[in-house]
Amino acid sequence: MVELAWLIPVLPLAAAFFIAVFGHRTTGQGDRVGIGAMSIAFLLSIGVLVDVMGGARLSQQFTWAVHGDLVLRLGYQVDPLAAVMLVVVTVVSLMVHIFSVGYMEGDVRYKRYYAVLSLFTFSMLGLVISDNLLFLFVFWELMGLCSYLLIGHYFEERANVHAANKAFLTTRVGDVGMFVGILVLFMAARTFRFDELTAAIADGTLSLPLLTVAAILLFIGPVGKSAQFPLHVWLPDAMAGPTPASALIHAATMVAAGVYLVARGYGLFAPVPQALEVVAWVGAFTALFAATIALVMEDIKKVLAYSTISQLGFMVAALGVGAYTAAVFHLMTHAFFKALLFLASGSVIHAVHSQNMHQMGGLFRKLPVTGWTWLIGAGALIGIPPLSGFWSKEEILLDAWHHNPPIFWVLVAAAALTAFYTTRATYLTFFGTPRDKHAYEHAHEGGRVMTYPLIILGALAAVSGFVAGPLASFVYFGEPHHASFDPFVFGVATVVWVVGVLLALAIYKFNLVSRRRIIQVFYPIWVVLKRRYYIDDVYQYVFVRGMIGLALVAGWIDRHVIDFVVNAVGWIARRVSEYVDDFDRGVVDGIVNGVGGAFVVGSRVFRQLQTGLVQSYMLVLLLGLLAGLAILVIGG
Amino acid sequence: MDVTRFAFLALAAVAVVSAFRVVTAPKIMHAALWMGFTFFLVAGLFVVMGAEFLAAAQVLVYVGAVTTIILFGIMLSEAAEVRGGRASVAAAEVPQGSTFWRRHVLPVVATLAFVGIMVAVYTSVPWPPMAGVGGDTVPQIGRALFTTYVVPFELAAVLLLIALIGAIVIAIRDDHREEQGS
Amino acid sequence: MMLPSGIPLTYPLVFGAILFGMGLYGALTQRNAIRILMCVELMLNAVNVNLVAFAATFWQAAAAGQVFALFVMTVAAAEVALALAIILILARREKHIDIERVHLLRW
Repeated sequence: MVELAWLIPVLPLAAAFFIAVFGHRTTGQGDRVGIGAMSIAFLLSIGVLVDVMGGARLSQQFTWAVHGDLVLRLGYQVDPLAAVMLVVVTVVSLMVHIFSVGYMEGDVRYKRYYAVLSLFTFSMLGLVISDNLLFLFVFWELMGLCSYLLIGHYFEERANVHAANKAFLTTRVGDVGMFVGILVLFMAARTFRFDELTAAIADGTLSLPLLTVAAILLFIGPVGKSAQFPLHVWLPDAMAGPTPASALIHAATMVAAGVYLVARGYGLFAPVPQALEVVAWVGAFTALFAATIALVMEDIKKVLAYSTISQLGFMVAALGVGAYTAAVFHLMTHAFFKALLFLASGSVIHAVHSQNMHQMGGLFRKLPVTGWTWLIGAGALIGIPPLSGFWSKEEILLDAWHHNPPIFWVLVAAAALTAFYTTRATYLTFFGTPRDKHAYEHAHEGGRVMTYPLIILGALAAVSGFVAGPLASFVYFGEPHHASFDPFVFGVATVVWVVGVLLALAIYKFNLVSRRRIIQVFYPIWVVLKRRYYIDDVYQYVFVRGMIGLALVAGWIDRHVIDFVVNAVGWIARRVSEYVDDFDRGVVDGIVNGVGGAFVVGSRVFRQLQTGLVQSYMLVLLLGLLAGLAILVIGG
Repeated sequence: MDVTRFAFLALAAVAVVSAFRVVTAPKIMHAALWMGFTFFLVAGLFVVMGAEFLAAAQVLVYVGAVTTIILFGIMLSEAAEVRGGRASVAAAEVPQGSTFWRRHVLPVVATLAFVGIMVAVYTSVPWPPMAGVGGDTVPQIGRALFTTYVVPFELAAVLLLIALIGAIVIAIRDDHREEQGS
Repeated sequence: MMLPSGIPLTYPLVFGAILFGMGLYGALTQRNAIRILMCVELMLNAVNVNLVAFAATFWQAAAAGQVFALFVMTVAAAEVALALAIILILARREKHIDIERVHLLRW
């Protein structure tokens, strides 16, 4: 089955093309085609995983380019990491495809939505099986495009357009750094392929100092794509897109691509601990930083967005401390429970037509399926055993504790905040008295197309943690990993989440401490958090307005300097043509007229021969005769 | 200087003067008379050069006929001029502007040039002296006229006839046509 | 009757040239039509003088010169008749014979 691995990305690509061209003629405008393609892809990926678990590997290259004596042979590969990713991506994508039938019903750009959804899945799958940085970069960019298209799905609202632009441009900044890194590696090692690059490091072609620089540059891409500080600003704004799309892209897959890149290219990071240090601290800081902001968000999707940023920080930090397996494990579990949480929030939004949690409350009774699946997802996020999130988070903390204690404590703090804000969000949405009576009355579950994916994802979020052991010996770097257990870490983690949950309940459910009082006391901090540390504003002023200012200056230069020159040239040309005209009129026409005038004068002279007088003619005769005579006499 | 040469020069000199008076005499009648006199002198020159027959013919034709007919012409044209009114004569304005070149300079120059060239040519050639005619010219001319030149002779006769008729035809006054005066 | 000739040929030739020249000048400049006719007669006479002079010098040419002169005389006479006829017509029409005022050739 593994030989058919190439089919897995191709199916959604074909589906995307088909939907785009023929979608409006098929029933359901192509959603069935998308779902069908994704189902087959999912089944194939299961088959591939089974094969790979049995030891099969696939590596296929073809000659991509020949330049002089440089031959680029690029292609795809299937190894444990890729196989796992294929399954994760296809299953989440499939759930999102099905859920969208209900959520996006009646949307004016339904067909385009499905086409882009399939296109995106193709890009992610392609990225996962690429065996070289060049292909990876291509798919990377493609995903950026699809993200842009989906964020800007409701482009009638200007704010959504701005969000899409912000996402694209911010990740672009990251992409530039990454591209420079790719080029540095290529210039040193003359190859894009991961295996050849690793070999180049081993035999010294790629020097370690250069590698450090290249690795850090390369890491800038994931900083953008996986929304790490300081390029995280696009992800919360990206919530402007349809919720199922957010579930797929901004929770489970695209944002995970950055993590995947570091994992796939771990051979480039492992030899250079300084680069890994940078990675770890960026991740840890982001984890804590984003968690703080999530505390005060009142839009349910924004909470989930900052949560995603935070959890990605966990994964990045894990990679930074050498916890390869843990990072990949968390990537997997996070994909399931975060996608679940997003879809569930989508269900809530679909029910009450609002994203503001302060207008919700008590929805558990009206939306039981959504409520229960949300609880599972929330529990996994917090890290409550035996849910999947617990296992993966535990591993990360374990490795952090063993390799880099300061990182460990930062992550622990982030975990505490995670527990708090998740409980807060859960309570505000599903419990307590409904704050908007009207919305509450009309709230109801979406149909089976919406509830079934939630249930499936809920199951995955619940049990996927149990593969910890097998996964450790399946996906690893260097030597097979062994899942271990440390009571200290377990204890600290458990205490932390319990405290977080209780604190949140105390404030929101039992009202032991008034929320208003807390805001009053911590008002300055609250404002800073609410304003997301003013980072968005800083970026707006420095970069956006800076660019606009630059554009205005350039425009001024263009209008006054360049146009001045152009107009001057035109003026000169006109003056020259005026002089030429004068010349033409005066000299040339003068000559022409002069010739005519000469003729007139000449004819006036010659006319005098025509006197009509006989004697004149006789005189002329005589003169002619004289001339002849003269010739005769003088000549001979 | 022998008689012949002296005779020739004397006749020639007077003839030049006479011819000059033909051109310059104010009254046209005088000019006609001077012309007759010139003809006469030329006849004399013919005699000096030994062409007696031709001298006689010259007197008969030129002095007799041509001068006479010219006198007739003067008479008739003067009459018409007088009848037309003196005004037509007095008001002889030249239609053109300056006639200086056309009537005064160029003719003089051209004539002088022509005469000059001819004289130069004549005097530069070493002519043999005039031997004089051999014998009586009348029978010689008569013989030549009726043998070698009989055709031109006949043609000349025809020519005269034509001229005669032609003159009559041209000058005849058609009383049916409207004529101004006369 | 024959006169002994010892005259250089140039004499009659030059005389002929002068006579011709005067006649030419008159024909070109005089305004009276009849005067012009008279000048033409002068020219013809000058030609005759030339012819006779050459005949007297080269008599062996069988009197051709004098015969030629005879013909010239004939034609001149005919021509005078016709010319006068035309002048009379002119006198009748224009009431004058000033050829300077007759420019019918250039209407």
